[in-house]
Amino acid sequence: MKTGIQFWLDERFGFSNITKFLKEKTVPQHKHSIWYYTGSAILLFFTIQVITGFMLVFYYKPTLGGANESVARIMTEVPLGWIIRSVHSWAASFMIAFVFIHLLSTWLAKSYRKPRELTWMSGVFLLAVSLAFGFTGYLLPWDDLSLSATKVGTDIPSSIPLVGVWVTKLLRGGEDVTGDTLTRFFGFHVSILPVFIFIFLGVHIYLIQKQGMSLPLAAEGKKEKVREIPFWPNFVFREMVVWLLLLGILFSLAIFFPPSLDKAADLMAAAPEGIKPEWYFLFLFQTLKIFPAKILFLNGDTLAVFLMLMGGILFFFLPLLDNKPAERKGRIITIIALAVIAYAVVMTIWSLL
Amino acid sequence: MRLRKKRFMGMFLVVIFFLSFFILEYNFAQQVRQEEQEEKIQAKDVQEKIIPSPQNIKEQTGIYVFVAWMWIAIVVLIYILRLKIKEVDRLHKLRFLSVKKK
Repeated sequence: MKTGIQFWLDERFGFSNITKFLKEKTVPQHKHSIWYYTGSAILLFFTIQVITGFMLVFYYKPTLGGANESVARIMTEVPLGWIIRSVHSWAASFMIAFVFIHLLSTWLAKSYRKPRELTWMSGVFLLAVSLAFGFTGYLLPWDDLSLSATKVGTDIPSSIPLVGVWVTKLLRGGEDVTGDTLTRFFGFHVSILPVFIFIFLGVHIYLIQKQGMSLPLAAEGKKEKVREIPFWPNFVFREMVVWLLLLGILFSLAIFFPPSLDKAADLMAAAPEGIKPEWYFLFLFQTLKIFPAKILFLNGDTLAVFLMLMGGILFFFLPLLDNKPAERKGRIITIIALAVIAYAVVMTIWSLL
Repeated sequence: MRLRKKRFMGMFLVVIFFLSFFILEYNFAQQVRQEEQEEKIQAKDVQEKIIPSPQNIKEQTGIYVFVAWMWIAIVVLIYILRLKIKEVDRLHKLRFLSVKKK
C-alpha cells in the first residue's frame, strides 16, 4: 500500500516505472552465472571508496608541507582514521581486481559481441578511469616511494613522439614532480575522475539494462531455453550473500594488514631502492624494465610504450574486430585472452621477486 | 753505535706502541660515534615510518571483538538470506511473484 508521500513523490519522479522495471527484469541462471556477481561487487567497492573518500578528504591537505603530515594525523590522531584509510586502500585494490575479472570474464565469454559493443567500450573506459584513480591516489600520502613511483609513471608518456613531453608536463604541472603535481593529482582524484566515472558508469549500467544480461555462447547460438530468475528479490538476495562475504574479507584485511606511511618525500633526495608501483601496474612496469634501451635503430622505451598503446587500442576495439560468431576467430580470441592473462600474471610475479 | 741503534729502535717501537693506542682509540671512537649516529638515523627512520595498529590493549581488544562480532553477524545474515532465497525460489516456481501482464 502506498502512502500519501509515496504517491506525491511517484507523481513527480515516476518511481513506479523503475520498480515495475525491476520487478519484470530477469537474470539468466546457468553454470557461468557466477560472473554476473562481479559487476555488483565493483559497485559495492566503488560505494565504499566514495564514502571513505569523503571521510578522508575532511582531514587531508593536498600541499607539499601538509600532505604527509595530514595522512600521519589521520593515522595517529583521528578516531579510527587508520581503519578508514586502510579500508580506502584495500577497497581500491579490490575494486580494480574485480574490474579486471569482470572484463576478462566478458572477454572469454565473448559477451562484447553485437549488440553489446558500447557496453564493452564503456567498460574499458571504466577500467582506465579506475587505474587513473589508483595512480593519482598513490601519490597523495607524499612519501619517498610514492614520489619516485610517480616520477617513473609520469615519465612514461614522454617516450611518445610529438605529444609525449606535453602529456608529461600536463600530468606533472611542470618539468618535474613537485608540490604542483600533488595538488593536480588531488584535483584529478577528487573532482575530475569522479565526473568521468559517474558518466561512464551511468552509460554502462543503462546499456546493461537496455541490452539485458548476456547469455553463454552455446545458449545464444542454439536459442535453447535458459532458466531465468527475477532480479528482485531472487537475484538481489544472492548478491547480498556475496556482498556480505566481500565486506567481511575487506574489513578483516583492512584491520589486520593496514598500509603503513613512510616519512615525507624529499624532492632533493635520490630515488630509494626498490621503486614499485601498485600491484595492478606491475606487469606494465616489468614490461618496460625488460625492454632494452635500443632495439635496432629504435628507442626501447618508445617501442614499449607504442606496443602498450596499440594493445590498449586493440583491446578497446575488440568488439569491432570480433563481431561475427565465427568459431575459428572466437577460438583465436580466447587463446589471445588466456595468453594475456598468463603474461600479466608472470610479469607481476617476476616484478615482485 | 749498535747500542744507540737498538735504543733508537726501542724508543721508536715504544712511540709507535703508544701512538697506536691513540690511533686505535681515535678510530674506534670515530667508528662508535658513526655507529651511534647510524643507529640514531635508523631509529629516527623507524619513528618516522608509521605502522598503524591499535594504540593500547583496550583498543586492540575492542578491534578483535568487533571483527568477531562482524563475522558472527555475517554468518547469521547469510543463513537468513539462504532461507529467504529458498523461499523466493519456491514462490517463483509456483509463479506466485510473477507480474501479471495485461
